[in-house]
Amino acid sequence: MNVSLEHYLMLTAFVFAIGLCGALSRKNAIIVLMGIEIMFNAGILNFVAFWHYKYFVSLTAQVFAIFAISIAAAESAVGLALVIAVYRHYRSVDLDEMRSLKG
Amino acid sequence: MEIAFWILSAITVMGAIMAISLRNVMHCLLSLILFFFGIAGHYFLLHAEFLGAVQILIYIGAVAVLIALATMLTRHITGEEGPREVLGGKWWAGMGTAAIIAGLLWAIIRKDALARLLPTEAANISYTALVGDIGRALVADWVVPLEAMAVLLTAALIGAVVIALEEVIRKR
Amino acid sequence: MDTVYQFLQHAEEVLRGIPLVGGLLARLYHALLGGAPEWVLLAISIAVPILFVVSVFPGIFAYTTLVERKALGRIQNRIGPNRVGRWGLLQPIADGVKLLTKEDIVPRSADKFVHFLAPVAAVIPSVLLFSVVPIGAGLVPVDLNIGLLFAFAISTASVLALFMGGWASRNKFSLLGAMRAVAQVISYEVPMVLAAVAVVMAVGSLSTLAIARAQSGGILNVSHWFVFRPWGFVGFVLFTIGAMAESARTPFDIPEAESEIIAGYHTEYSGFKFALFQLGEYLASIAMAGITVTMFLGGYNGPGSGPGFFGGLISVFWFFSKLGCMIVLTIWIRGTWPRVRVDQLMSFAWKILLPMSIVNIVAVAMWHYITIRPIAWIGTTLWLVLWFVTLNKLAATEKIEKREYRYAS
Repeated sequence: MNVSLEHYLMLTAFVFAIGLCGALSRKNAIIVLMGIEIMFNAGILNFVAFWHYKYFVSLTAQVFAIFAISIAAAESAVGLALVIAVYRHYRSVDLDEMRSLKG
Repeated sequence: MEIAFWILSAITVMGAIMAISLRNVMHCLLSLILFFFGIAGHYFLLHAEFLGAVQILIYIGAVAVLIALATMLTRHITGEEGPREVLGGKWWAGMGTAAIIAGLLWAIIRKDALARLLPTEAANISYTALVGDIGRALVADWVVPLEAMAVLLTAALIGAVVIALEEVIRKR
Repeated sequence: MDTVYQFLQHAEEVLRGIPLVGGLLARLYHALLGGAPEWVLLAISIAVPILFVVSVFPGIFAYTTLVERKALGRIQNRIGPNRVGRWGLLQPIADGVKLLTKEDIVPRSADKFVHFLAPVAAVIPSVLLFSVVPIGAGLVPVDLNIGLLFAFAISTASVLALFMGGWASRNKFSLLGAMRAVAQVISYEVPMVLAAVAVVMAVGSLSTLAIARAQSGGILNVSHWFVFRPWGFVGFVLFTIGAMAESARTPFDIPEAESEIIAGYHTEYSGFKFALFQLGEYLASIAMAGITVTMFLGGYNGPGSGPGFFGGLISVFWFFSKLGCMIVLTIWIRGTWPRVRVDQLMSFAWKILLPMSIVNIVAVAMWHYITIRPIAWIGTTLWLVLWFVTLNKLAATEKIEKREYRYAS
């Protein structure tokens, strides 16, 4: 069976849904960030799959993928710094305990 | 080529599922790293080798290390695990949303109009995106986003350091 | 791999060309592999580099440990191991047997799976690094067109073993040691990769074979080595420092030094797992030395190297002798210089090495664009020296007074 673009789109849709499930249902802030990273990766794989099957010659998709990877890295850096700062205050990374904006 | 696709997809999906469902955060991180390797393998399979190497370098070499450091810094070093999570209301909400999204995406992909647009096999050009071409594209066509990315990364770096810095000064 | 495959395809003609024994060898080859199908040749061309890497480089590792112990002994005014075999030549085997037969202790509350996986994760990247090091003219296990990037990606993946070891041991001190080791490794990765970027700019390709080929030619195949250019020399120094810090060699061996936090991330490992950690670390050091040789010291180029059978043999000889020189240099530095403190380590990486590596990239660009060679030499050298002095003045924290030595009399 020839691997077509459809297979890749379904794979990335599935992985995106897994990441979304993880980001919504875990209460450890770090695992939520991991879920977000999974979603990012699924999206970027989607781009590269389209590049391979349709727009082989133009490099726009690869450049976009490089930018997207950089943005994901920057976002995870800032997100984890926030988690560390919040940990210092609440002494836990449990999202259920971070209820009050005060303080 | 097909076997490689299915094996890599199996690794990727297993990595993702384990990353969000294991109890121990470090095990989640390790399966996330497996997931990243799977995605890098897919990039290599799609003839985007530079991107695959960049994925390993940045995601596994930097983002995973960052998550591991954050895990180490936010644990009680006494060695205990912390409260364990139970399958409860949030899980069903999460899985339900994910199932709805996955179902929507599947329906869109399967729909006939889209299927007609999608080619069934790879384009016949055997083109390996040479790193030089990507470099030239970055500095010729996409130089403004490149500079914006540099500013963004600098801001993220400084911001992360400022946020995570210990507020020693205020304690005086 | 490609070279072996091409050799196998044209083996009979090549073998016939060797004087004296050519005909015999060609007949032998024909008897063994005469009518072999395509996939046999492919399998052989894949198996030969793998077997070569797996047997030669761990062998070099074993005897590097011996050379290191004897050299350190001599520097410290004592003889190294000399009991096991003449001149201690069987010492690595004795060490191997000892470590293999030691009891494998796993702490009761340790995370068994991760504890088991950490040494494996330390060895795999180190062995994979050898797949892009060219040991002779055209002789590289895999000729990737992103070879150098692959090497750096794999070496950043070896950071994971530090975490896994430190975390899985459930030991506060292991965790702290692992965090310090990770901070050290990721801090020194940045100037190391940027120093390599300078070489990539000069060559125009990421393939290690192309980088080595770009340094051929010139007087005796030596004068085009990148270490003899201003930016290449600075890059060589930066890359060597970064490589020493990557594999946690003195003066950057805080993770594993005797006076540091027990033994850092490999405290709770004994027996074969400890041996695997040592193997991974030394192999990474040797592989990084191999990449340094490829990028700055001309790879396999030397007087007499070149394409062809005998040129290839001479190029392999030159590569291994240069590799040996780099290994001896690392051992020498280990025996002579003291350890840096952890804050000195970080400030050195971020305040001096990183700006210097960026300045080096600008120097390569200057070298490329100033077409009149003497002005390029002088300009680039001045630029680098001025920035070096400025960075030192800016980063100096305290005034270092001239020491007064008073001797007992």
